[in-house]
Amino acid sequence: MTEQANESRRNFLYLAAGGLGGVAAAATAVPFIGSMFPAADTLAASKTEFDVSTVAPGQLVVILWQGKPVFITHRTPELLKEVDGHDDMLKDKDSKAIPEVEQPWMNTPERRKYRSIKPEYLVISAICTHLGCIPGYKPSAGRKEWGDAVPENWPGGWQCPCHGSLYDISARVINGSPAPFNLHALPYEYLTDTKVVIG
Amino acid sequence: MLNTIMKSKVFGWVDRRTGAEAIIKSQLTEYPAPKNLNYMWNFGSLALLVLVLQILTGIFLAMYYKPSAAATYGHYTVAFDSVERIMRDVNFGWLLRYMHAVGASAFFVVVYMHIGRGLYYGSYKEPRELLWIIGVVILLIMQGAAFFGYLLPWGQMSFWGATVITNLFGALPVIGEYLQQLLRGGFAVGDPTLNRFFSLHYLFPLLLVAIVGGHVHALHVVHSNNPEGIDLTKDEEKIMFHPYYTIKDAFGVAVFLLFYCYFVFFNPQAWGFFIEVDNYVPANSLATPSHIAPVWYLTPWYTILRSFPDKLVGVLAMGGSLAILFALPFLDRSKVRSARYRPVFKQMVILFFIDVIVLGYCGHTPPTPTLKLVGQIATFYYFAFFFLLLIVPKFEKTKPVPEGI
Repeated sequence: MTEQANESRRNFLYLAAGGLGGVAAAATAVPFIGSMFPAADTLAASKTEFDVSTVAPGQLVVILWQGKPVFITHRTPELLKEVDGHDDMLKDKDSKAIPEVEQPWMNTPERRKYRSIKPEYLVISAICTHLGCIPGYKPSAGRKEWGDAVPENWPGGWQCPCHGSLYDISARVINGSPAPFNLHALPYEYLTDTKVVIG
Repeated sequence: MLNTIMKSKVFGWVDRRTGAEAIIKSQLTEYPAPKNLNYMWNFGSLALLVLVLQILTGIFLAMYYKPSAAATYGHYTVAFDSVERIMRDVNFGWLLRYMHAVGASAFFVVVYMHIGRGLYYGSYKEPRELLWIIGVVILLIMQGAAFFGYLLPWGQMSFWGATVITNLFGALPVIGEYLQQLLRGGFAVGDPTLNRFFSLHYLFPLLLVAIVGGHVHALHVVHSNNPEGIDLTKDEEKIMFHPYYTIKDAFGVAVFLLFYCYFVFFNPQAWGFFIEVDNYVPANSLATPSHIAPVWYLTPWYTILRSFPDKLVGVLAMGGSLAILFALPFLDRSKVRSARYRPVFKQMVILFFIDVIVLGYCGHTPPTPTLKLVGQIATFYYFAFFFLLLIVPKFEKTKPVPEGI
């Protein structure tokens, strides 16, 4: 090279070429990372139909919606009575803390309290809001049948086997539980008198 | 840039604990390379790039691929369906699969160019014999990995290709039958075969990484050959690998990616050369496709196999045609390396390149009596080339090699 190298021109070219190369390399990461998100067929399996009349009175059924467990219970009149009388024990009795615990169909005080469209059939996420376990069903009130796992004034509901979170019969979290929120409410509707579609 | 990094405090901390600066200097910034390397010397770095691309795309494909020959509907299987799911449902799955399939062929293109370069310029000669031998090991592992990988989509070509190749081992006396069962995990290619081929298809690239490391290390001990094929003694005949050859390699990568992206995005099947059309038909163990041939990069050896009327001789000839590459550094005793200064060798080696292409063509095309004869002549020259190397130096008048560059 006879003339002195043009340092600033050289630096500009160096940065421009290196910068474009960096952008290209980053763009290459898009398909790789993108491929790890749910595939089209996984997303397509996003609706689940279920006939609630197959659930016997008092029974709990666990079904899958989008690969996640969902509780469907048939609450008898006795179980429905357990919803009242312990509002002071609840972290979020009206299910308003975060968007996930309420749904547009909770448009009457009754639906909001029972957290279901028809009071007797509760359709609710089965994933504990603490760390994702499936809580155990302990519906009847009082400690007698459930031992030390539940408090003495147990209103009836669910108790999570992992870290002891407690939920009432409307799946609302009880004070003192490590779980921060009520079990998530799900978007569902009745297609016929007994057939619901979730999603 | 590299200088700025190497002066930083963090780098100093790492350097005191790893000796990183000495490694970077000896292997990169102060690694001397001949100043006259031509573009034929780009293919080594390209091969490394394709290896990385193959491993990356392979890891992500394996997140969705399922190695099972269990039946689904019709003649379909879990494995075939999982590949189709990658093509249709997985985000960018089509791109990853086409990158991987085109990458397999691209890998062989650059590696065959790399080997041809080594042949033409005598890069296999003293002191680079072991470097060449490690390279042949890499070629064999690549062919194994490609063969295992081709079974995975569980299409007709996958199935019958694996059936034919595992049958080759059955031709060996005494141990053949057991070797064949060992490869297949049964009496025919089936579900156990698919599972072990997937396992080995994952293992072989990891072996490749290790052996490529050895290849590069061996290169950095004996240093690069050059187009003149002479030993360089003076400092002014060499330039630093970085930045001169890193920039040249980067340019080569850009040109390579143009071709690679053309095939990935516009022509992934490459007229049936990269992905054979019959492989979109699910594997059927009751019917062989009307014409069955390996993918292009294995066809030269396939022609050698079928040029012999005796099964065992054909298998041994095919094995021998690869094994003889190991002996090459010891067959050719000429003191002159580069074909530029060896007029007879130059004609021979160019004819050898054409010969391999002819072998490849014959293996790709359905057999006819004429093509069979052509294939046999080409097979004869393939072996003759290596044996002629023994006698050529005795009469070849080499041109005087330059003192320096």
